[in-house]
Amino acid sequence: MAGKKRTSSAKKAANAAASAVEPVVERAHLPVRNPDFPIGVDYYPLDEERRSPGDWYDRDIDAEFAAIAAARISHVRVYVSWRALEPQVGQYDEDAAERLETVVEAAKAHDLRLIVCFFADDRLAEMNDVPWGKRRDPRTDDYLVQRQLSLVQRIVNRYRAEPAVLAWDLANEAFIAGFTTELALEKWVATLREAIREVDPERPILLGVDSETLLRETGVDARAAIDLGERAVSHLTASYRAYIAEGPVTSGPATYTDSFLLRSSLRGLPVTVDGIGVHSLEFSPSEEAAYTRTALYSALMNRASGVSLRRWRDLEAEKREPYFRDPFEVLVGVIDTAGEPKPVLNEVRRFAAVAARMDPRRYALAPERAAVLIPAERYEPLPSLAGLYDPRACLQAYIAAKEAHVPVAIAREGDDLDGYHALFIPSAAKLSPAMWGDLATFVQGGGSVVLSYGGGDADPAVREIFGVEFLGDGGPRHTFACRVAQPGVLGDLTSFDARMQLPHYARLTGSGATVVATDATGSPLLTVNQYGQGKAVFLATPLERAIAQNDPWATPTPVRRLLRTVYGSVAMSAGAGAMLECDTPEAEIAHFLGESDDILFVLSHNAEKMTATITTPRTVATVQDVRGGAPAEVGGKVFGVPLAPNGAAALRIMFG
Amino acid sequence: MSVQRSSQVLASEQFARQDQLPAAVAACYEAIAIADRDPLAHVLLGHLMLAGDFYDEAIAASTQAIELDPDCAPAYLTLGLAYDRRGGMWDQSVLVWHELAEVAPDLVTAHVQLGEAFAAAAFEEESVDSWKRALELDPKEARAHYNLAIAALKREGMSTALPTFRVAGALDPSQDELFFALLGLPNDDSAIDLSFGKPERQARLISAGTLARSEDFFGATDVLRLMLDENPADADALAIAAYVYLKQEAAHEAMACALRALSFSPDLPTALYTLGVVYSRFPGLATHAARVFVALAKAAPYHSMTHVLLAESLLGLQRFGQAKRAYGAAVRLDPACVRARFGLAAVHLTEGSYAEAQWEMRRAAYYDTKRHGLFWRLYDEYVAGGAV
Repeated sequence: MAGKKRTSSAKKAANAAASAVEPVVERAHLPVRNPDFPIGVDYYPLDEERRSPGDWYDRDIDAEFAAIAAARISHVRVYVSWRALEPQVGQYDEDAAERLETVVEAAKAHDLRLIVCFFADDRLAEMNDVPWGKRRDPRTDDYLVQRQLSLVQRIVNRYRAEPAVLAWDLANEAFIAGFTTELALEKWVATLREAIREVDPERPILLGVDSETLLRETGVDARAAIDLGERAVSHLTASYRAYIAEGPVTSGPATYTDSFLLRSSLRGLPVTVDGIGVHSLEFSPSEEAAYTRTALYSALMNRASGVSLRRWRDLEAEKREPYFRDPFEVLVGVIDTAGEPKPVLNEVRRFAAVAARMDPRRYALAPERAAVLIPAERYEPLPSLAGLYDPRACLQAYIAAKEAHVPVAIAREGDDLDGYHALFIPSAAKLSPAMWGDLATFVQGGGSVVLSYGGGDADPAVREIFGVEFLGDGGPRHTFACRVAQPGVLGDLTSFDARMQLPHYARLTGSGATVVATDATGSPLLTVNQYGQGKAVFLATPLERAIAQNDPWATPTPVRRLLRTVYGSVAMSAGAGAMLECDTPEAEIAHFLGESDDILFVLSHNAEKMTATITTPRTVATVQDVRGGAPAEVGGKVFGVPLAPNGAAALRIMFG
Repeated sequence: MSVQRSSQVLASEQFARQDQLPAAVAACYEAIAIADRDPLAHVLLGHLMLAGDFYDEAIAASTQAIELDPDCAPAYLTLGLAYDRRGGMWDQSVLVWHELAEVAPDLVTAHVQLGEAFAAAAFEEESVDSWKRALELDPKEARAHYNLAIAALKREGMSTALPTFRVAGALDPSQDELFFALLGLPNDDSAIDLSFGKPERQARLISAGTLARSEDFFGATDVLRLMLDENPADADALAIAAYVYLKQEAAHEAMACALRALSFSPDLPTALYTLGVVYSRFPGLATHAARVFVALAKAAPYHSMTHVLLAESLLGLQRFGQAKRAYGAAVRLDPACVRARFGLAAVHLTEGSYAEAQWEMRRAAYYDTKRHGLFWRLYDEYVAGGAV
């Protein structure tokens, strides 16, 4: 049996991984894992490039699953190989089926739960490359889809009563990227879902794809297809990272992208942050660990339902002269090719210990009453550039809100705005008439909005809601000058001059609005208008887009300060601000409210050491690490949280 | 024989030259809708996407242009730059720059970029050969010098790298510009007589500065002599005199003038600049240079170059943490400062932060290639049908 052919080196390596991971001390009163916030890992069928597709899961799975379990990981995604299971039409390979059985048995033996992914492309194991498929597209070819249904039903039927199987994942992002239309994707998902439901009416079904990253890559909007499932994932791909934040992974926008995608994916379904880890082997082990730590904590702090690591073991790539590097995004795991744990695995274990203490029945994250609004123009294809500019601008708006410590969500044009008190609409070139109507209602009803000019003509509603007369686009500028005319109206703003390219600048005159700041010539830069019960703030330049399109890692300090001050001030006055104050913009805060105590997460988005000073409205009696240890007495409303580079702190706060 | 351009391509070209990206992209799409096998439309689109930092789109459009015409040099440029700026595609990048270096052998940037792509793919010897080839073509190519300095740093440490960093720094015209900015002369070379209508001393000062900028040092000296005859304690005039001596390699005279200027006006930025530069030329006076540049950075904190000079002096003293902060301040003031980016990369390398160092070098290349505006040169030559 092929599944039992285990090489001694693989076994040795797996045992090394298992032994190097410290055994988890099981104590009755200390949770080891959090069932409400599981940590998972993608377990790919091949770990060496020289292996052939026929070697699908042909290794010592039991030893590796023991190491995975020892690392406090509870969920494992495994990948079905259609090619291995159905080598000839309608004829299923018993050896391959036995290998799948070995995987399931190993999971059971180590108390792991499996997410079985049916159709995945890892660009190595050729799992969907059935030799009899004659190069027809398995996504759209009716015959092949029928064969897929047979395979799926066969597997689901075999494991429908198997408790080790947690969920059915229809396909991964690389496979889904082959769809060219929304209709074809929805049809395929609906067909497979129906087939599974005929056999297994209960187990969750999901589509392992992030709608935002897929839209960027293929132009296909997968939201409707994702909504056919019971769970969703957010997933930062290498190409999306190269598009939205291509700089260092331990500072600046790169440290916010995972949570930005997570927030974008939160549309009603529970979302797992999938594919956590770096995308290439160019990073040092400490950089890998720092980035992964940031992504893990970001997930917990931003309403994820779980996390999943990109890969268990580094792929051992072939040394191909003259080029050794491989662009595949599934290269990097948490143990190396020899099976030795990397520093990142210790991060995972430490994080698991923290996450295990977070009982969602006892603690609830403070509600988000503010949102960054993604305009509908984001979904327009080229030649409209909005689809390219808007996600970057929205990410910068999200970062500014985070730097202001505003609990912030992501909404889309057309969403119900009832739950929000403040909206940030970054650098939109246009909004639909319906959205302008919704916005007017929102502000009149007491909501606050910050809208930055996105270029082109301004809608007439700008005059009504924002109280400014639009006189035309003043065009690009090479410097950004801010002169504060009304100090204190929108927070503690200061005047400055900065070298920065601004793509547009709206020429305005006040038509009822208060001019809070101007440029160097007196042209309004920032206005605020009372409209109905609410407040409408207009920024005369697409500042969020300008930050994104200049150099987001080297934005002039006063520019970033201006944006976060405006956002923070508007959110605070609208009742959507932070419940706690923090003096460090790069420290992200998540405040979980409990009955007798609260839990506070503080995450550094900076690769330097720092101390975040937290100010609370009530007197704090003690602060304690959630993992235990002696509580530190505070006896005041202010305390400092020292943070290592890219460090995170999880604190239990008792109020006195 | 020149290449025929459709009206849509011409419109796109016009918008693109005016940096009107949305209009240019729209015109490009119109051109492609009419003639989808026109390499000009695709190469323009590639350039526009690159200008917007949309690398995947730039790669797609440039690749299409090359497929339609394998001799389309501007398409190789946009494709190579898109690969490099996107990162993680060094193997493809090597091939493209290699190709462009063959299509346009005298194109210095192709060799510099090829070297950087080789270095990113860990082919150190090949990278050094490429930068040396670039310097054969243009000995004043600062980025090739910086890259050689970084290569020396990786191989043998900072002490070997520092002389090459100094050579690269000496090629940087913006350092001289700092002096004139500190003097209050505007950045452009307009023919307006700035001294017109000013009080006599002020007019002479501007005149001396303008003459010094145009390297008419004898003319500048004549004006300064008049000023110092009237007032030997004129610190501003002494500082310009120090600069004039400095430019004529009379370091001791420059030092004397600068010190005398500072004895009358201790915080005078122009005198601090000149004195610091003189000190930095003597390895034994590196500590003095650092102290003077600290004072200069305090006196003129809004000029990125003052922080660069301070950082470089600290680098020489192996005070890497302080150098990193100073370089960081320079980059925040001017993200396009190539010199600060390479300096920061050097500091990151000493700390073992390779990915951060790589990023700084990529950004240096980003701004340097943007500043060169090479695309339009290659594009115009391609349209004209001439050799590149």
